[in-house]
Amino acid sequence: MPDTILVIVEQHQGKLNRVSWETIAAAQAIAADTGWAVEAAVAGNDVAALAAEVAAKKLAKVYAIDSPQLERYTPDAFAAGLKHLITAKHPKLVLLPHTYQVRDFAPKLATQLDRCVISDCTGYKRDAGKLLFTRQMFQGKFSADVSFGSDAPWIATFQNGAFRGDKAEAGSATAPVESFAVNLDAAVRNQPEDWFKEAKQAVDLTQAEIIVSVGRGIKEQKNIELAQQLATALGGELAASRPICDNGWLPMDRQIGSSGQTVSPKLYLALGISGAIQHIVGMKGARAVVAINKDSEAPIFEIADVAVVGNLFDIVPPLIEEIKKAKAGS
Amino acid sequence: MLIFRKPLDVRDRPKMEADVVIVGGGPAGMACALRLSQLIDEYNAIHPDAPLSKENIYVLEKAREAGQHCLSGAVLDPRAMRELFPGFETEAPIEAKVHKESVHFLTESRHFKLPVTPPPLQDHGNYVISINRFVKWMAEKVEAAGITVFTGFAGSELLYDGNRVTGVRTDDKGVDKKNEKKSNFEPGYDIQAKVVILAEGTRGSLTKELIAKLDLARDANPQTYGVGVKELWELPPGRIAPGEVILTLGYPLTTKEYGGAGLYGGQNNIVSLAFVTGLDYQDPRLDPQRVLQEFKRHPFIAKLLEGGSMIRYGAKSLPYGGWWALPALAGDGFMITGDSAGFVNSARLKGIHLAMKSGMIAAETAFEALRKSDSSASTLGLYPKRIDQSWIKGELWKVRNFHQGFEKGLYAGLIHTALQQVTFGRGLHERYPSHFGHENLRQPAAFHVDGGPEAHLLGDAKGDGKLTFDKLTDLYHSGTKHEEDQPAHLVIHDTNICDTRCAKEFGNPCTHFCPANVYEMVEDATAPASTVSPKRISLNAANCVHCKTCDIMDPYQIITWVPPEGGGGPNYDGM
Repeated sequence: MPDTILVIVEQHQGKLNRVSWETIAAAQAIAADTGWAVEAAVAGNDVAALAAEVAAKKLAKVYAIDSPQLERYTPDAFAAGLKHLITAKHPKLVLLPHTYQVRDFAPKLATQLDRCVISDCTGYKRDAGKLLFTRQMFQGKFSADVSFGSDAPWIATFQNGAFRGDKAEAGSATAPVESFAVNLDAAVRNQPEDWFKEAKQAVDLTQAEIIVSVGRGIKEQKNIELAQQLATALGGELAASRPICDNGWLPMDRQIGSSGQTVSPKLYLALGISGAIQHIVGMKGARAVVAINKDSEAPIFEIADVAVVGNLFDIVPPLIEEIKKAKAGS
Repeated sequence: MLIFRKPLDVRDRPKMEADVVIVGGGPAGMACALRLSQLIDEYNAIHPDAPLSKENIYVLEKAREAGQHCLSGAVLDPRAMRELFPGFETEAPIEAKVHKESVHFLTESRHFKLPVTPPPLQDHGNYVISINRFVKWMAEKVEAAGITVFTGFAGSELLYDGNRVTGVRTDDKGVDKKNEKKSNFEPGYDIQAKVVILAEGTRGSLTKELIAKLDLARDANPQTYGVGVKELWELPPGRIAPGEVILTLGYPLTTKEYGGAGLYGGQNNIVSLAFVTGLDYQDPRLDPQRVLQEFKRHPFIAKLLEGGSMIRYGAKSLPYGGWWALPALAGDGFMITGDSAGFVNSARLKGIHLAMKSGMIAAETAFEALRKSDSSASTLGLYPKRIDQSWIKGELWKVRNFHQGFEKGLYAGLIHTALQQVTFGRGLHERYPSHFGHENLRQPAAFHVDGGPEAHLLGDAKGDGKLTFDKLTDLYHSGTKHEEDQPAHLVIHDTNICDTRCAKEFGNPCTHFCPANVYEMVEDATAPASTVSPKRISLNAANCVHCKTCDIMDPYQIITWVPPEGGGGPNYDGM
């Protein structure tokens, strides 16, 4: 039996992660240099179809690791399932794409095999018969060639883009698929929650036509609610100057200015914002600026189309009422 | 709740071996790297069979790009550069050769040109440069020579074996406001080095820690500092020629404060305008950024600037304690160079050439240490000996008592200076003592409520938007930028002192002396009603321009400046 390279491809809900082709291309390149055979494995529940898809590539064999426990990803189940396969098949080298999921379980897998991982590699070299893996250091200013000091199996992960997925060679014939059922009931302690989905698109203030923006004049976190009511009444978005986001009263993605977003709405209502240049550069493209500030010398008034000198807590509540009335009337 | 930066507890930090690590890529660090490279090239030409490698010599630079944190007047005395790089004038970025200089004494509304320029201030033959461009050029030379410059990496800690410095730890990246790891966390590297050369610039954070740990300043005078606040202006043609230097004394400072201004003419009608205020003033309400604004309002200066526009802003402290304030410069595994050591000639207002020369001498010593495989104090101790034999001492010895003479004000200073001039620098005593500048701060109760004769130096500058600027507008022109989601790098060891004692005793001078509006006292809506002070300290750490004034001038010495995540800081293009 020749030495083998085992590529662990990644799938999510029956779809292959494209980066898996890159890892196969990497394995094929190493195989061309070493004469080793390339095999692949896909883990999940009922993954025969996926295994068949992978088998179209030039591979010696494809393993379909099947278990109901692999239906939804858990680090325990994936580490245990792959450990079963690796201990049974003795690959020389195990290659994985450096995805978030792999980052999560690969250390566990390696520890269970009493091996280490060379992670996030950008390439490989052969030097005097030794296989070296290239890793970036100092944020890419340096690269280091690293080799395994231990016996096989060796485990390495490749960075996204290190190899070209379209260079993964197709086979002249379909590779044989071997079903590898595992029993993982004892291994899994994790209770997976639903797959994480970004709750809502992060707010894109650059598209907002009306923005109500609050500054330090709002005084306290609980008063943000007042500005929110005004924004809601106007059908606009809520934003802020830096001190507000710095205090954590609003998330960073609502910050306007040189260290935040640059916006150009039709209407920009600045509540209690002094108007330092750092803020102005983020909103000076607004079509109309209405500023409410109790300091008549606040620089925001230099660019405001409507300047209201006064206490925003006296002005904003009746303003909200008037807007509501006007909208109800129309 | 403020949370401050500290190195995280990381098991198995990535490690690297190095021959020499130079912390800081300014004039001292770059001159050091270049000199080291030359020595290795010379050695390898003679010993082709057993060449020395430059691969394990590294320069760490916290700025994203070399030179971006460098700020100076600047006039360069070319002496060190001529030794390091004969003929550098033909290719280095030089604005102009100084051809005209004058010194003026300003009163509130008038100015008097001194009939002769005092010899220390004569600049004929020197060059007006942008230190930012010059260092950038030096960095190119260093990299072309095969020495790696790690930009965007700060030295966050020194590594020790007992009292021996064994290396440098770089900054942890990807740490959030609460000192927790973000998804892009990357631990700092432990660079184990045979020789560590500190070239961090003024008030270096590692240097400060090292001096304290090994008590390196026990025989030295307390180091004294000033802070230079600078604006770059583009003027209508014909105002100040390239190579023209105008220095001023007097207004807006009174005779109680130390300091003065310099205007330096560069190419394309760009003029550098800097005001240095001694960090030994008495009134805690004094604001160095305000001082620069008041200076510009003087009729003599306002006329020069009229119709021009301010294009860049910055600030940096500078050490001017001179010869007697130098700490022990070397020990097991380390050497201290440039502004970190305090190599500044305060009578001439110059330090770049001394920084370079100290870096070169450190390089020569490091080279010897590598050759002998001995970087203990017995080899590196040659560095201070060579400084003693070099023109650095020749120059600094003559002015060894200069700045101390001014501790009692301008007039006493001028008399001492005259005496020192005729006694080869001695004056009345062989060694004038000095005192820490922050000890000079007096409680506001000692002053007129309205500031009296200093009223125009106190409190926030308003700014007219043309000639004068409020601090935030100036700050905007520093281009400073930091990753916002990181712990505060201005480490205040006890914020209770800020909120209570300092508020009462000094009125929080940090809110005035900081030229970047980092420190602020804010209303504390959450404070219980029983609290004595209604305000608490708040930090706008992302505003910081890395001048170190807070570390120097805070009256309780409870602020420690540490480097923020590498890459953050001002953008001193053309400064």
